[in-house]
Amino acid sequence: MQRGAALFLALAMLVLVVGCGSATSDSKTGEAKNGFHIAVIPKGTTHVFWKSVHAGALKAAEEFKAAGTPVEIQWKGALLENDREGQINVVADFVAQGVDGIVIAPLDSTALVPSIRDAKDAGIPTVIFDSGLADESVIESYVATDNYNGGALAAREIGKRLGGKGDVILLRYNVGSESTEQREQGFLDTIKKEFPEIVMLSDDQYSGTTAISAQNKALELLNQFGDKVDGFFAVCEPDTVGVLSALEQEGLAGKVVFVGFDPSPHLIEAMREKKVHGLVLQDPVAMGYLGVKAVVERLQGKTVEKRISTGEALATPESVDSPKMQKLLNPEQAN
Amino acid sequence: MGETAAKLGLARRGGDFLRNVLGPFLALVVVVSIFWIADSMQADGGRFATLRNAQNILVQSATVGVAALGMTLIIISGGIDLSAGTAMALSATSLAWFLREQYSPAVSVAAGIAVGCLCGCANGMLISLLRIVPFIVTLGTMTIYLGLAKIVGDNTMVRPLPDQVPLWMKQLLSPRVEYEWMVFAPGVWLLLVMALVTAAVLRYTVFGRYVFAVGSNEATARLCGINVPLVRIAVYTISGFFVGVAGLYQFTRLTVGDPTSGTGKELPIIAAVVIGGGSLSGGRGSILGTLTGALIMQVISSGCTSLRLPNPIQEIIIGCIIIAAVTIDQFRQRRQAV
Repeated sequence: MQRGAALFLALAMLVLVVGCGSATSDSKTGEAKNGFHIAVIPKGTTHVFWKSVHAGALKAAEEFKAAGTPVEIQWKGALLENDREGQINVVADFVAQGVDGIVIAPLDSTALVPSIRDAKDAGIPTVIFDSGLADESVIESYVATDNYNGGALAAREIGKRLGGKGDVILLRYNVGSESTEQREQGFLDTIKKEFPEIVMLSDDQYSGTTAISAQNKALELLNQFGDKVDGFFAVCEPDTVGVLSALEQEGLAGKVVFVGFDPSPHLIEAMREKKVHGLVLQDPVAMGYLGVKAVVERLQGKTVEKRISTGEALATPESVDSPKMQKLLNPEQAN
Repeated sequence: MGETAAKLGLARRGGDFLRNVLGPFLALVVVVSIFWIADSMQADGGRFATLRNAQNILVQSATVGVAALGMTLIIISGGIDLSAGTAMALSATSLAWFLREQYSPAVSVAAGIAVGCLCGCANGMLISLLRIVPFIVTLGTMTIYLGLAKIVGDNTMVRPLPDQVPLWMKQLLSPRVEYEWMVFAPGVWLLLVMALVTAAVLRYTVFGRYVFAVGSNEATARLCGINVPLVRIAVYTISGFFVGVAGLYQFTRLTVGDPTSGTGKELPIIAAVVIGGGSLSGGRGSILGTLTGALIMQVISSGCTSLRLPNPIQEIIIGCIIIAAVTIDQFRQRRQAV
């Protein structure tokens, strides 16, 4: 009897929760009946970056609604962060459920290809954002920062501050990371083309994936080249944080022209102290917004660009408090 | 001498069949029905109870299901294995490494599974020889295996070239079946075969009775002449085999070796056994129950997606189901004590 009671209680709870959930979603689906049901799948759900993407996606949905096409956004990532298998499951669930379109930031450039191909075979168009996919034949569009241009922006800032000559170090991120390789290439090409008098002291070292490993690698480089170093470019957030600590440790912070990629409160503070001379900023809100827009326009039968750039900007100690930079440094977030 | 304990276990098992197997199965039917009804009430619903979704759910629960077969043995024997997730990732990463280094698929698969067996064997040896409780030992090996996997993967993904991954691996757990007569993916059928064999071993062999005996009452089992450390090492090694196969399953879905892909996966594996009627105090559990438990979790997960329930709600529901299952288990035990 008791066992029956416990079972009953558990199932009653389930009915209650499921009931509540479907009741609220019913009103939503009622709206979307003549419109589109779009699944948006981030890489993780807790980092603020993704909340800004979510805000952008909702903004696009609202604009479509105002224009007479109701769009329902279903925001769902894997339960665990960085769980490739979990993300594959989420895509498979959405395909089985029959959503109209998928917008996804793939956790892996190859692992996600089969499930996105399944979606395509089932007639569901997919737009990817933030990170690339090894096989682009399965997607409609790729919405991302133009990382090559981001690297070029950094090169121009360092070149300008050094007056066109000096010795510069590029600390790469990790082997096989597509987005950072683009940044590195953009940086090197621009230095070579626009600042022929700048010498690259080192451009073949990798920081590894954590701030600690980046700091160690940067210390090695600073020990090797010492006072010769005039400029430094770090290609992503952990890389930038690590290099900054290394510069501080060697007493070179503020003396070496240092440009990084992606902000964090700590880095912005360092920029106000003029220890960081530039940070390349991405626009997560635009990623969500343009991603949803692309997939809905594709569903409406319009042609969409295979590659959509979300734009990138460079914050400097002088411009960091301007309204434009503040908007990129503190992007809106969905609840 | 072992016969006495075995007879005791056998007498109990017959009576337990209804409770152990039908209980979880009934719960699965109820959970499926709830989501089915709720889904068909949605404006654009009606896709939950389709063959496509059934194929999908079975494929998704297969990896946890395989690893949970071994976990069932461990839990019946009164142990626990917190390292199952990271050992699975270590197997998968090793498998990927062998493929990338130009070894044949057969050798790579064998190596991956062997790594799983070694992980399990190491767990069993440490528990038996050091006489430390399984919880602590496997808590330690959990991070050891994670570290080893990162070394194998050189701190990043192991990516065999696409043509180094044979076609049968890609099809093993593809939700869309290559041959229609198979209905479900080959990996699902393989899981079923392994489950049947394991269930038969548990039920009809002396070894199976020893496993129950050790889990029910270790002291009695020892007095009856059962070599408890040996049984334990065997149980963990067999479980390691299943963890290795789970690594293969995971690899075929990812086609890359991800050293961190097992982090946190031990929990659904343990939960499958517990929801399926396995008792963490040992001596009780069933293979069919475990498979049902793995399915219940995946049905809830897929069902929540089709009902547009956000992740936090899904996590809460799964938590409630686990607590409910253990509550039921406790009532059962109390009743038996009387």
